[in-house]
Amino acid sequence: MPKTNLPLRPRRRKARDMSTEIGLGKNACAQYEALLEDYLDGALDTTEARTAELHVQNCEPCRAALQQASASVRLFRAAGPSEGPGPAFARTVMARIYAAEREGAGDRAGIWQSLVKLGWRFAATATVVLAVLVTYDAGWGRHLQRNLNSPRLMHMNDIFAPDPANPPASRDEVLMMEAENHGN
Amino acid sequence: MAASATALTLPLDHKGKKEEDRELVRLSQNGAEAAFEELVRRHQQRVFSLVGGILRRAEDVEDVAQQVFLKAFLGIRRFDQRAAFSTWLYKIAVNECWDYLRKKKVRPLVYESDLSDEQVSRLDGIVSADRPPEGPNARAEARELLDRMLAALPEQDKQLLILKEMEGFSVQELAEILDLNVNTVKVRLFRARGRIMEVYRRRVDAQNKSAAAAAQKKG
Repeated sequence: MPKTNLPLRPRRRKARDMSTEIGLGKNACAQYEALLEDYLDGALDTTEARTAELHVQNCEPCRAALQQASASVRLFRAAGPSEGPGPAFARTVMARIYAAEREGAGDRAGIWQSLVKLGWRFAATATVVLAVLVTYDAGWGRHLQRNLNSPRLMHMNDIFAPDPANPPASRDEVLMMEAENHGN
Repeated sequence: MAASATALTLPLDHKGKKEEDRELVRLSQNGAEAAFEELVRRHQQRVFSLVGGILRRAEDVEDVAQQVFLKAFLGIRRFDQRAAFSTWLYKIAVNECWDYLRKKKVRPLVYESDLSDEQVSRLDGIVSADRPPEGPNARAEARELLDRMLAALPEQDKQLLILKEMEGFSVQELAEILDLNVNTVKVRLFRARGRIMEVYRRRVDAQNKSAAAAAQKKG
């Protein structure tokens, strides 16, 4: 990859492949990159390590790349790992978990309470409706009874009710009775 | 969830770490909060490192790390243990970090990538030295210089290098956490090393040039 002299932009740029901006000099052989990373990591057995060393001895770009990579290890080692959590971290996490659980239980209780409230409202409404119906029914019943006992209706009963002592014997007698009643 | 810390009696001595984790996960799934607390203690350092490695903002790391464990607790009953608990947890951590960055609409912290001549000299001393600098101040300074250099790298290179070299994650772990092929991780790491050292070499070259120019002016 050719070396370029593009200036490095200072900050907050979009992540992208910078390989064109950062000259890499001569690249290592592609098929040896993973092996060299393992070599650097001390992850190779003796035979594999010997293979890597032999290649590096005979390949200048790979030798340069391995030297650069080794220097990067020193650079990172100097910085060391991030600071770890404080001694109370686990306790804090558990306290947060307990709080979340309580909140969850509170939410569940809230749903149940609203259901109970709704139930009570429904029961109260049903009771009121029932009371109104009973009251109305009782009042209407009395009113109806009063109307049935009125002289006009009793008279109408006389008109239509047959005389139980002398029931009509035929259809003609019924017509005669009706005509008499009408005449009266 | 009635199990107390004292009720947790695990035969931990004769089992591998992963087996112990499996047992602790099983107990946690049955409601033993003490078992989950033990899982927190075992993995808090790595989760902190992972979150710190991605966010690079000390003030946010603790909060996000707590959120990671809270999510793990809430989801542990659904965890089928086909993968290691650590892998599952680290994936939650990576997702949580990206969610956090997206919600806050910030990118991981980057510094100015330019270094002063004095800083380049100090960096040169660090790279050339056989032993890492000792003491918290020296480490903090090295970290700051490194962060400035890392700013010139693509995000993925930066994360891989930080997690591997500073936070101690293995290639295998990185492949699992970041859903990459192991070989891809190795190749990317090796190339990223080359890139960061190229950034360093450019800084040194620039410093040498400016020093030579200053000497010429004086002469």
